[in-house]
Amino acid sequence: MRYYKFNVRDGYYIGETRQFSIYEKGMIRRDEPLERLQIIPKINDKNHFNFQYGPATGGLIESLDFKIITNGEAIKGIVVNPYVKSRTMRCLNKTIDECLLLVERINGYHSASHSIAFLSAVEDALNIDIAEGTYYGRIVILELERIRSHLLVLKRMCEPAGFGVPMYQLSYINEIITRIISDISGHRYFYSTNKLNRVDVDFGLLSSYIQTLIKIKREFENIFNGLLESKIFINRLQGNGLIKDDPLIGPAARAAGFKRDARSNISILPYKELNFEPIIFNEGDSFGRFYIRGLEISQSFDLCINALERAEQSEYNYSNNFSGEGAARLESPSGDLFYYVNIDNGLIKDIQMSSPSYLNLKSFIKSAINTIFTDFHFNFESFGIWVSEVGVEFI
Amino acid sequence: MSNQWFIKGVKKGILTEGFPQLPPEKPPLRPSLLIGSSNFKCPVGALDENKWNPEKCIFCDKCSMEMHFTGDQKLFKINRKMNAFKRSLYIYIIDSGTCGACNAELFNIFSPQYDANRYGIFLTNTPRNADVLVLMGVETEGMKSVLEETYESMPEPKCVVKMGTCAIGGAGIGSKISSLEPDALIYGCPPSPYTILEALIELKGDKP
Repeated sequence: MRYYKFNVRDGYYIGETRQFSIYEKGMIRRDEPLERLQIIPKINDKNHFNFQYGPATGGLIESLDFKIITNGEAIKGIVVNPYVKSRTMRCLNKTIDECLLLVERINGYHSASHSIAFLSAVEDALNIDIAEGTYYGRIVILELERIRSHLLVLKRMCEPAGFGVPMYQLSYINEIITRIISDISGHRYFYSTNKLNRVDVDFGLLSSYIQTLIKIKREFENIFNGLLESKIFINRLQGNGLIKDDPLIGPAARAAGFKRDARSNISILPYKELNFEPIIFNEGDSFGRFYIRGLEISQSFDLCINALERAEQSEYNYSNNFSGEGAARLESPSGDLFYYVNIDNGLIKDIQMSSPSYLNLKSFIKSAINTIFTDFHFNFESFGIWVSEVGVEFI
Repeated sequence: MSNQWFIKGVKKGILTEGFPQLPPEKPPLRPSLLIGSSNFKCPVGALDENKWNPEKCIFCDKCSMEMHFTGDQKLFKINRKMNAFKRSLYIYIIDSGTCGACNAELFNIFSPQYDANRYGIFLTNTPRNADVLVLMGVETEGMKSVLEETYESMPEPKCVVKMGTCAIGGAGIGSKISSLEPDALIYGCPPSPYTILEALIELKGDKP
């Protein structure tokens, strides 16, 4: 394994797979089961009662089961069951290509991140060098995915504030990005786009969209600046869901002042060649997470356009009967995403994944204590949690 | 300052496209209607005796050497038209085990490009107000009873739409599919907003 070492607790904490605790540069075998995602008030106040929210509710994109312990207004405790819609993926003893079809359906909205992280782990196991054009092609699609994902988060944060106009304007931009993705890859969510050492994208066609991307970036910045000027909106976010201590990854960590970004601290993709520097802010509340995402959208437009110059399609004919084990991590729009694979004669013997949403959910419940329920949605959406990637079992 | 968003909104003008009266402006290649025949061994079994089965297809492009994606977005089947909902159709969504892409595409039909509201199609936050239950994703253990309770609490007349390959055929993901009898099937992995919008309009017995 080129990127990871066993039994090394080095760097910041990334998350958990089925058997390992993952850190920035190493992984440690875990013997205990995962701790439950819950905070229960220490004092048993008879005025507290439980309020069931979800799993099926119009307020959330996905099914998620919350038991909120409240005194009527403030949230005093939360018990979350993120496994309510847990899916099983039949990946074991399958070929890389068969497994890839399932991996890219773990989180459809971050499909490019999942497939590239998985393929990078496989390429690590294969010990092969990837063509430079493929590296840059992967950066292009990862940044397009980040733009769309961050746009969705900002749009979802406008909704509970009743800010219909910016919400629909962000939806409009989101749909334009999705259509560009569809035009260049044939699919609106990058399904079947990533292969071993190959990105099936028409980079020439994407070059013809550069002026459109620049125009959309300007349009987005107008909406974002308008939201920053709106005191009514900002008041709902500032001080809401404040969290400045671990476990934090992704935009939530960067909003709280931590320089944590897999794009800058791993060598799996050549972000350094594009002079990438993570954007850091010093507010760990919903506003900080909103602000970081807004700035990262503009940054991702620039990264995408710069990487496009060096992106190209490559071919790699791999043998079907290789064996090895590999691990890789990359920065998905919600934070660090990690994959470990063990391959025997071309078949998957073991696959483990650590999703950023698990840690983000853990941080969210910590940050939600003592907030009021009307602030709940702003706070929840600001973490960009996708339940689909939390409860996945590989069989 | 308080009316800045109103002015910004008006300045943008109408952004809604002519679909479904006019053809889709930017239809995706995948998913779309697939034509041709092939002996290719489909990884999810969507090619039965050389014939394409949209209920199982995940539009992965693996058979594209012999089969051909047409771009046609009419990828749905209406088993029972619900004329009672001609004036308005309230949707309640159940995600019983999705990857999130179906969820996103369903929300996209309310974006300015598609504007499903103009056809009287709305989302509702409670099954008590719902006309149609849109079911997405494979059936998972945790959501089974939630789904049953939701369907039971909907008032009559009511209907069920199964949306996406996971809900209809399992999509090769190792789980079961719901036994609820669907009034409409919307194919795709995930279905595009064009397909979803046209299917819902046809389900409610409205003319595009």
